[in-house]
Amino acid sequence: MLKIMKAGIEVLVEDWPGRLGYMGLGMAAAGAMDHLALQLGNLVLKNAPGEAGLEIAGGYCQLEFAEATTIAVCGADMSAKLNGQSIPLWEAIAINPGDQLSFDHFGQYGFRSYVCIAGGIDVPVYLGSKSTCLFGSYGGFQGRKLQPGDEIALGTATANGLAGRRINPKYLPEYTNQWELRAIPGPNSAPDYVTVAGMDYLFSTPMKISHNANRAAYRLAEVPAYFWARKDGGKGGSHPSNIVDHGYNMRGAVNVTGNTPSLLIADGPTLGGFVCVANVIQADLWKIGQGIPSRDKIKFRLTTVEEAVAARRDSLAMLAAADLIIN
Amino acid sequence: MNQYEVILDTMPATNDRTEILFRQAGDGFLQVEYGHEQRVELLDSFRVLAVDSKIKQQQISGLIETVPSLRANLFHFDPLLISMQELIAEIKKAEESIRGVEDMVIDSRIITLPIAFEDSQTKKAVELYLKQVRPDAPNCEGGYNLEYMAECNGCSVAEIKQMLLDTYWYNSGCGFWPGGGFFWPMDPRCKMIVPKYNPPRIWTPEGAVGIGGACLFTYTTATGGGYQLFGRTIPTFQQAMKHPQFKDKPFLYHPSGDRLKFVEVTEAELDAIYEHVHEKTDYQYDIVESKIIVKEYLEFLARPEVKQGAAEFAKRQEQGAITAPRL
Repeated sequence: MLKIMKAGIEVLVEDWPGRLGYMGLGMAAAGAMDHLALQLGNLVLKNAPGEAGLEIAGGYCQLEFAEATTIAVCGADMSAKLNGQSIPLWEAIAINPGDQLSFDHFGQYGFRSYVCIAGGIDVPVYLGSKSTCLFGSYGGFQGRKLQPGDEIALGTATANGLAGRRINPKYLPEYTNQWELRAIPGPNSAPDYVTVAGMDYLFSTPMKISHNANRAAYRLAEVPAYFWARKDGGKGGSHPSNIVDHGYNMRGAVNVTGNTPSLLIADGPTLGGFVCVANVIQADLWKIGQGIPSRDKIKFRLTTVEEAVAARRDSLAMLAAADLIIN
Repeated sequence: MNQYEVILDTMPATNDRTEILFRQAGDGFLQVEYGHEQRVELLDSFRVLAVDSKIKQQQISGLIETVPSLRANLFHFDPLLISMQELIAEIKKAEESIRGVEDMVIDSRIITLPIAFEDSQTKKAVELYLKQVRPDAPNCEGGYNLEYMAECNGCSVAEIKQMLLDTYWYNSGCGFWPGGGFFWPMDPRCKMIVPKYNPPRIWTPEGAVGIGGACLFTYTTATGGGYQLFGRTIPTFQQAMKHPQFKDKPFLYHPSGDRLKFVEVTEAELDAIYEHVHEKTDYQYDIVESKIIVKEYLEFLARPEVKQGAAEFAKRQEQGAITAPRL
């Protein structure tokens, strides 16, 4: 069991790939915002890569462990400390009963840190996943972010002697303040919805992530008027961003409401009346989770379905690489 | 062809169907769209659902889920198990096996929902929007959206309310937020069209009823949203699953096919029902099992008074669309 001493900004139970198969009922996949950090942390601990961990957004939290276990902290560097002593990221650390794990705030790079625990987190599996959908208030731990005093049950580790295992540095993801997101145009693109010049703008202009950024959507900077190829949305509504409601290619949709593009992510809407002009490829979704609201920028890079599928394979191959973990 | 082209394949129009477009929508998404025009024709939805059910029976390996909407169907798939081209081939097979929709009979329950027009909660949502998001929003003239809805459609507020009560509203498929249905007017004389908020709202109360484009939505839980608000109905979602209506699942609506009929009540009556749904759990929902016989529906559409009424309303809407301010 672990106990939440300070709950920080937003601490959630999340797994990967989340809750698949319910979009048609309006239920988003949810899942870890940075699935790469979560999976690497789990692999260090010999967990299944998609096992649930704690997702810490922004920082300022403190946990107390009531039992001996092994953990790995992965993702953004928030100066994690165990009983006041700094600990390395991406490495299995032995935990004794009573140990205090604390996080400062996010630093120069990255916005989310993950605490993975050997044996995982013992919350009910709801519709196939342990992930919290914050906006629907279901899944995870009582469908909400964690609060001081919450006691979270832990799974049972099956492996011993994990401490010291760490990710081979050559496989560590690179963090930045301008995230390149590979994206595929569609389903609403040039020439019928957006002008070629508009798509050129989208794929060449770094856009700041707005302060209006949460697990459902990251708002970006406005697109110019010449973005639109249509004068209105026909029966969908008067603005050219309007469309007769359609399913959203979510997670990763680049959805435009009025002139404001947003990235629809974990808990986002599954269907709605605005165009989706592109989709961030699955292999790059983790970068969105590390984008710092109100500070970092993103830049879209045009890619193809073929390249995106190859990137998925590369990502799986990396997670399965023989030299991924150093003992 | 430009580098942003997304239409990968098409099926030409035939006597009993419109052109079908296969649009790439990411490395794991394909949007199948019916025709180029943003039209609101329930027959499109009947076809989407017929093909969707056919495809689900085939249990295609790698197909994760579909998100049907009025004139499109979004396919979410694992490209490592099935390629975009293979998926398109499967969908084409299903399309070819469906003849015209005239002979279809669709399971369609009739759900009667009490509604209070201009209630204090949705008024509060508009007030908050004016305060926090867009103080000069022309759709919130007079502190509410009904005047604007009337203006857009070249009619009076009283006529708008009457149309909302007169027609059945048909669910083409759930989405956006957990358990939310997308409802369309079955009587073309009531097919009002309004633009969506620009930018969207941050808060909408549970039970709010809104329209965007020609589509009606009942907000299942408090969320953001972009539809014009005119009233509030009873709960259509219960996370706690306490009430017998929700004992098996938190949703009131089936994934598709339900029809709604609204009856006007006072806000006090509505609030009392909330108590009987969420607290006392003894409210009796008015739900009748029924069917839509498509042939009979086509005969209704062909009636002279229906055709003439729809044409007259369309004319008034055209005028309204010219004079109403854009959002």
